[in-house]
Amino acid sequence: MQMTGGHITVSIVTLATLAPFAAFLVILLFMRSRPRLSAGLSIGAVILSFACSVLLLILHRAGGEAVQYTSRWMVAGNIEVPFGYLIDPLSLLMLVIVATICLLVQVYSLGYMAGDPGFSRYYAFMSLFSWAMMSLTVSPTLFQLYIFWELVGLSSYLLIGFWYEKFSATQAGKKAFVMTRTGDTAFFIGLLLIFLHLGNIGILQLNGPEAKALSPNVITLAALLIFGGIVGKSAQFPLMTWLPDAMEGPTPVSALLHSATMVAAGVYLFARLFPFFSLSPTAMSIFLGIGTISMLLAATMAMVSRDIKKVWAYSTISQLGFMIMALGAGGYFAGVFHLTTHAGFKALLFLCSGVFIHHFHTNDIFELGGLGGRALKVPMICLAIAAAALSGIPPLSGYFSKEAIIGTLAALENPVWLAAGLAGIFLTAYYAFRVIFLLLLPKPGETAQAPPSPSPTHVSLDGGGNSEYRFMAWPLIVLAGVTVVLGLLENSLRDFLVGPHALGAVAGDEMHARAGYLALGLAASGVVLAWFEFGRHGSSRIGFVERIPVLARLFAERWYLDHFYRLLVGEVIDKGISYLCYKNDNKVIDGSIDALCAGTVEGGRITALLNSCMIQYRLLTIFAVLVFLALYFSF
Amino acid sequence: MIVPFSHVLVLSGILFVLGVFCAVARRNLIMIILGIEIMLNAAAIAFIGASLRRQDLDGQTFVLFILAVAATEVSVGLAIIVYAFRRTGSFDPGNFNLMK
Repeated sequence: MQMTGGHITVSIVTLATLAPFAAFLVILLFMRSRPRLSAGLSIGAVILSFACSVLLLILHRAGGEAVQYTSRWMVAGNIEVPFGYLIDPLSLLMLVIVATICLLVQVYSLGYMAGDPGFSRYYAFMSLFSWAMMSLTVSPTLFQLYIFWELVGLSSYLLIGFWYEKFSATQAGKKAFVMTRTGDTAFFIGLLLIFLHLGNIGILQLNGPEAKALSPNVITLAALLIFGGIVGKSAQFPLMTWLPDAMEGPTPVSALLHSATMVAAGVYLFARLFPFFSLSPTAMSIFLGIGTISMLLAATMAMVSRDIKKVWAYSTISQLGFMIMALGAGGYFAGVFHLTTHAGFKALLFLCSGVFIHHFHTNDIFELGGLGGRALKVPMICLAIAAAALSGIPPLSGYFSKEAIIGTLAALENPVWLAAGLAGIFLTAYYAFRVIFLLLLPKPGETAQAPPSPSPTHVSLDGGGNSEYRFMAWPLIVLAGVTVVLGLLENSLRDFLVGPHALGAVAGDEMHARAGYLALGLAASGVVLAWFEFGRHGSSRIGFVERIPVLARLFAERWYLDHFYRLLVGEVIDKGISYLCYKNDNKVIDGSIDALCAGTVEGGRITALLNSCMIQYRLLTIFAVLVFLALYFSF
Repeated sequence: MIVPFSHVLVLSGILFVLGVFCAVARRNLIMIILGIEIMLNAAAIAFIGASLRRQDLDGQTFVLFILAVAATEVSVGLAIIVYAFRRTGSFDPGNFNLMK
């Protein structure tokens, strides 16, 4: 048992991480048929975690040394696997983000999921999800992190396929699980590689001087393999196609999945092992490249999607690409800060869209605009705030984090990365405001063709009387507040994360300032272009991409990545590997087992002759065996 | 000790093999029990020989135990044989096939 910190911290962390797990068990075992009670229990547990994590943040607000508390969990030979907690600024920040988003999403779900037959199950899985993610953030070793990493994957599988009666939902859940598992396998191999060479996989040891003793090739290989896990979990190129399909789950789940838990886990792991990854410049430049590719690909996909949730899903991939770019370029703070702000505004985007979808029962942006989406005032305003933050409009949080990233990219020697980042900012602003303008300024012609059944505009939308709506509106307002305020906390967050004396990437030099202005200008021009094409009175409402059929098709088909995977799975795996395995199974394994069975039956028949109720045969056998044993032992 | 130890061992070995042969080959329950008795006694002779050779009383103590076990075994065995004879009317172990 090793410990460098107060007992009080440890007990608070234990409480924070175990409360949702206890809620999960109790709900699953006893409260399947009591939806209200289970929702209350789950939310209570999350409130407890939230309070504990905020308390921890206050206790450790000075930053400083990492507190690690571990106890021995598994010993085999001279291999020891510890289990415990690691509290440092990064894990604290992430813990608070996760607890906050989980709490808000669970409150929101009270309204969104009301009346669903699987209400209790939903809250049980939500608790499982919160537990897994919070425990992941405070894991002191890669091994423990891997356990919770898989639990996060499992619970997101359960939640994406929550409406399991729907075939597409189960398919999406399966796809998410299989694709992330592909990456996780690489992660696990990398983990074992490090373990083999270093003898332990504690995060602090890995980031400390011990890892420098490894040979550079091993470090690069291990970093690339671990990055495989990040690519799967954070939906980066080439394993990105599961994320848009994951929209089949309930919208609050998407909000949770996209902001603070599932996909953020990948970037969090990157930040967690940042000093280790920095030891290999080759690996870092590959990460930078992969982040850039995913960022640009996803942004182009978002430009043509008609499904509001899919637009945000693509933008998640794109923003995660931004974070990976920032981290890959060496901007630790920029990446983590963007992770923080992104968690806020992406959750807000999804929750707002959820209100529209819940209300109008459609995902199509054009239909939502035509049905009078702007009549829902609170979500519309919040959506606009979140989209502005996403595009990086000044007073909002997204502006500050994107500026930090652009600053990091501008510090690189190769201007290609900076250009790609700026292009990404332009595209982001364009697709975000495309959605806003389509919702806010519908064309009169489109209103007419809307189905008249729900008569949405006459529902009382001010929040009075309608408790479902109130449950959904309050988290939105809180998150919008967070989105507005968070950017102003940049400097205190920087002090907290990297220490007050660290040299930030933002050193007011000429180059950086110019890049910042350029980014702002590009974001503004993206908004203007979106207004020109979608918002302007009498605009054609056709994007510039859609005028080029080849490109539009390419983007809408997601760069044919899914086709490629289908081909790969169909031709190589199904017809090649699976066929061989099938033959092997039939001929070798089944055949040998059949032969073994037949042999056993025959042998039994022969030995059964001994037992034909004649003691003397048995006696004879005993003596024969004894004689042979005596001979065997004496010679 | 006048008789050499090896002779004692040979004697007990011959007795043991005779006992095994008797127990395995004869088709009569009483003779089987007799065979087992002979084997026990062969072991007892080997014990006594060894005890004399090592100048140690443990072997002879053991023989006393063997005698006690043999007596018990004979009494229980004979009781079983009498019961079996009453049920089947023969001493042939091949006839005891009710459980077959």
